[in-house]
Amino acid sequence: MRKTLLVGLLLTTVLVLGFALAMPAAAQDRWDGADDLPVSPLECPAMDGEMAATDEPAAMEAPEYDGGQAVNAPDLAGQDIVLVDVPKLVGIGYFAATTLGEQQAAEELGNVTVTTDAPTEANIDDQIAVIDNYITQGVNGILFAANDPVAIAPVLRRALEAGIHVVGYDANSEPDAREWFVNQAEFNGIAKAMVDSMVAEIGDAGSFAIVTSTFTTPNQARWIAEMQAYQEKCYPGMTWLETVEAQEDNQLSFNQATTLLNKYGPDVDGLFAMTSVATPAAAEAVTQAGLCSVDSASAAAPSAEEAVAVVGLATPNAMKPYVNDSCVKSVVLWNPIDLGYAAVYVMRAVVDGEFGPGDTTVEAGRLGTLTVVNGSEVLLGPPFIYTAENINDFDF
Amino acid sequence: MTATAKPVPTPARRDDTGNFVSRLISIVSSQEIILLFVLIALLASVGSANPRYVAERNFINIFNGNAYIAVAAIGMTMVIISRNIDISVGSLIGVLGTISGTLAINGSPIWVSWLVPILVGALVGAAIGFMVAYLRIPSIVVTLGLLSILKGGLITVTSGEWITDLPEGFFLAQMKTPAFSILGLSIPAIPSPIIIMFVLTLIAVLWMRYSQTGRAIYAVGGNAEAARLSGISEKRILMTVFILNGVFVGIAAVLWATQLSIIQSTVPPGLELQIITAAVVGGVSILGGVGTAFGAMIAAILLSAINSALVFIDISPYWFRAVVGILILVTVLADMLRRRRTAAASGD
Amino acid sequence: MAASSHPIEERQGSSPLTNILLRQEVILFLILILAVTLLALSSDKFLTVSNILNQGRLLTEIGLVALPMTFIIITGGIDLSVGSILGVCAIVLGYMWNPSGPFQLPLEAAIIVSLALGTLCGLVNGLIIVYIGVPPLITTLATLALYRGLAEGISQARSVRGYPEWFFQLGQGEVLGVPTQLWVLVFFVIVTAIILSRTVFGRSLYAIGNNELGARFSGIPTGLYKIIIYAFSGFMSGMAAWIFVSRVTTTRSDMGSGLELDAIAAVVLGGTSIFGGTGSIVGTVIGFVLIQLLKNGLSLAGVTTDGTIVVIGTVLILAILINNFIQRRTNAA
Repeated sequence: MRKTLLVGLLLTTVLVLGFALAMPAAAQDRWDGADDLPVSPLECPAMDGEMAATDEPAAMEAPEYDGGQAVNAPDLAGQDIVLVDVPKLVGIGYFAATTLGEQQAAEELGNVTVTTDAPTEANIDDQIAVIDNYITQGVNGILFAANDPVAIAPVLRRALEAGIHVVGYDANSEPDAREWFVNQAEFNGIAKAMVDSMVAEIGDAGSFAIVTSTFTTPNQARWIAEMQAYQEKCYPGMTWLETVEAQEDNQLSFNQATTLLNKYGPDVDGLFAMTSVATPAAAEAVTQAGLCSVDSASAAAPSAEEAVAVVGLATPNAMKPYVNDSCVKSVVLWNPIDLGYAAVYVMRAVVDGEFGPGDTTVEAGRLGTLTVVNGSEVLLGPPFIYTAENINDFDF
Repeated sequence: MTATAKPVPTPARRDDTGNFVSRLISIVSSQEIILLFVLIALLASVGSANPRYVAERNFINIFNGNAYIAVAAIGMTMVIISRNIDISVGSLIGVLGTISGTLAINGSPIWVSWLVPILVGALVGAAIGFMVAYLRIPSIVVTLGLLSILKGGLITVTSGEWITDLPEGFFLAQMKTPAFSILGLSIPAIPSPIIIMFVLTLIAVLWMRYSQTGRAIYAVGGNAEAARLSGISEKRILMTVFILNGVFVGIAAVLWATQLSIIQSTVPPGLELQIITAAVVGGVSILGGVGTAFGAMIAAILLSAINSALVFIDISPYWFRAVVGILILVTVLADMLRRRRTAAASGD
Repeated sequence: MAASSHPIEERQGSSPLTNILLRQEVILFLILILAVTLLALSSDKFLTVSNILNQGRLLTEIGLVALPMTFIIITGGIDLSVGSILGVCAIVLGYMWNPSGPFQLPLEAAIIVSLALGTLCGLVNGLIIVYIGVPPLITTLATLALYRGLAEGISQARSVRGYPEWFFQLGQGEVLGVPTQLWVLVFFVIVTAIILSRTVFGRSLYAIGNNELGARFSGIPTGLYKIIIYAFSGFMSGMAAWIFVSRVTTTRSDMGSGLELDAIAAVVLGGTSIFGGTGSIVGTVIGFVLIQLLKNGLSLAGVTTDGTIVVIGTVLILAILINNFIQRRTNAA
């Protein structure tokens, strides 16, 4: 029995130690799931409610190029090149779409071969190992979407040192570890589009909760932080209820969203879903709970008090059923096919020596001219908002 | 603590004296009762803090949310009782769910797309069983290997495309019984996964308790040598266990695939750990020979209730996993202490 | 199934233990040679000194954790919590040092705290297993969730970055042309190999795995020994955390998730019986080297990651199958 006590004592020690350690960290005024990096909320929309996404691209003074450089990269201008694309993981629709865009670009260009290879789970260690192998194999360029901006940096720097060109997309690394980053849409732009879309549905005094993947996912953490900043600046009357984690798992996302609906009942007016997995699942939860704010006056339609709006980041195919049922009014996303497409074009331009430090624009095939922002990022454009009018035009 | 897997009390012991009710109670040995109390206490305490927690909608959701895990945990219970383990179940559910959805969108009749995954599950189970029983490869090795094969193979085949546009009528897990009222009592609509979970668990509990084969599983797990001497074919029993496990995984996969309008054709992360957790928290001894599917079901519901409660009582979600870990430890510790006391009381 | 203290039914015939060990390692080694030959033929980048050394960098964490895992599995136990211990140690290392955090310890002190915490986590596993008698699989399944939960709770999902330059020497630097961490791994391989094969303690682990009750009656302090190896496992997870953080230059609470399965696969592939009683460090080393070289070589040969894990799963099953088959032949003869 004394031994049992001893074990209990030790276990308690570990726990108390853990909780004690965590207490100081718990004191923070950011929403759960937001990171603690500086935020820069965009201007509030004009009074007429028009959603002018990024009307002023803040081009006061262009910051210096802060990317890295491939060391002694062979001159392959105009020649065939072999690229590898390492997204965060394989097996989700979003990265299947970026891969498709890359293949389209490769086909158009005719002198680019690109293979996609990534871990089956969004795991930094596996991602590093994959990139490492391709450095050894000797590709001409690496495209990546980082699981962690810092952890991936050393291996990318090794690639640059080995004369391999490195371009990121979707999720950035430390700037000096790659040459360019194709930014799908700026964090504050996404945040603004999300919050504005929500306000359009629930008004500027509503309450909302957030379903995210994990609190450690950098992009999601950034968006949540920017959403908070933008909401506090433009719609101080709104109430954030809480953020829940749901991995990249649609069943868990569904359960978490359902639990949120059950917990807050009529007190929750909207759900933000931060991933392409969570958004359809949250829409499903609202649908199955019978809380869609359907326009048609069917008998089962919930009162305006009870109805819950869903705004999220998602790919169109997964959202069509909900948008066509008008359960979901707006889905925020850039076009991931275009993102992959642009990444390949940027890489080609870098290899050809047409795009380097100091340049402010780059040609990207059917996308036309893309501009450089934040030193070494290529901006794809303002975020796109899918609605019932346009969602059926997209197939990915 | 010398723990030569001596099941105390032996669940396979059959008392012929009691009536059906007392027998039913004795089936449900103490670990299950403890869990039931914990579950009720949790529902009551969180419910009193926030009545919406036990309101009809959330209450049903608590039972519904982990129903597929409970169904898979029935198979896991049998596997663990036979002193084996299957860590490939999560991957298998992903694969079978994808098979189900693929059949459905390619125009197979709905019942085919429900049945085929169950049959494939049984086949995979038979393959595992064969390797464990006849080729004598430890089950942890077989299923560790299979986990990789299924996970990698699924992505190679589907390249991660989601399955959408599933036909109407495919969504087994979204079906509900009609709500009705009887004697002034209104019975809400019960989702089908809850009914399937209860029915399968009941069948499994009775089968494992009363059929010859069912009891032989306990015998093989409790003491393989003695089982052999008493004429039980260990190999046949192991085959049966793994095939049945495959069937339950198949059913779980169909429930998993039909819950939402989209099938994410990848392997759900960490699902195998949840299923194993449900089984062991439910009182299935990893030493083999002890446990019931009923306990596993209660444990699955309890995990779902905890998950829900953590949202309701505003514990920082950062601590969720720590709470689950503590819960497993506490239930297992309680079980160990209880067993030791029982052993001491019976002068063992 | 790992049954901590259950006598094993399936003991191999009467051939001497060392004999079997020798055979298993020889078979494995042949498989390794075969794999290396095939991979070298399919890519000329594979069998180069720089590639092989670089693989050493990537396998160190798994290797460090697989060594004590071998001890544990030989006694018939298992430790699923290693990945989570790595996670919590990494977080605490960063958290203790974090110049804008509450503690702001010198980095050296933070490393020591982190290693101590790893040992403590392992110690708790061992104490629960030995003194309360909870089977290792359940204990470590619970602490798998618990320690990961602590990592998440303590970090509040914030990562700690910006370590001083000297700290990266361990994970990214080289000593005499060989990655620094590979020296650490080699050191621990030698130490554990000697402990397992040349000391009374090591011999006792086999005895515990074969027949724990018998081992206790013959005067081996089985409980103490088991506690020591679980604590050692925790310590090594802490070491792996230190090297991992140094290699990737940041801390995240999801570090090391899934590590336990990789380590167990390496140990089992290395011929250690999951039922306990047999196994060796040499086998484990071949096991994790084989897995890493397969991952690397297949990738160089143009196989993508999803294809690679299919191959590794198949190799795992086949290797054990061949082993079993040959052993049964040998025993029959």
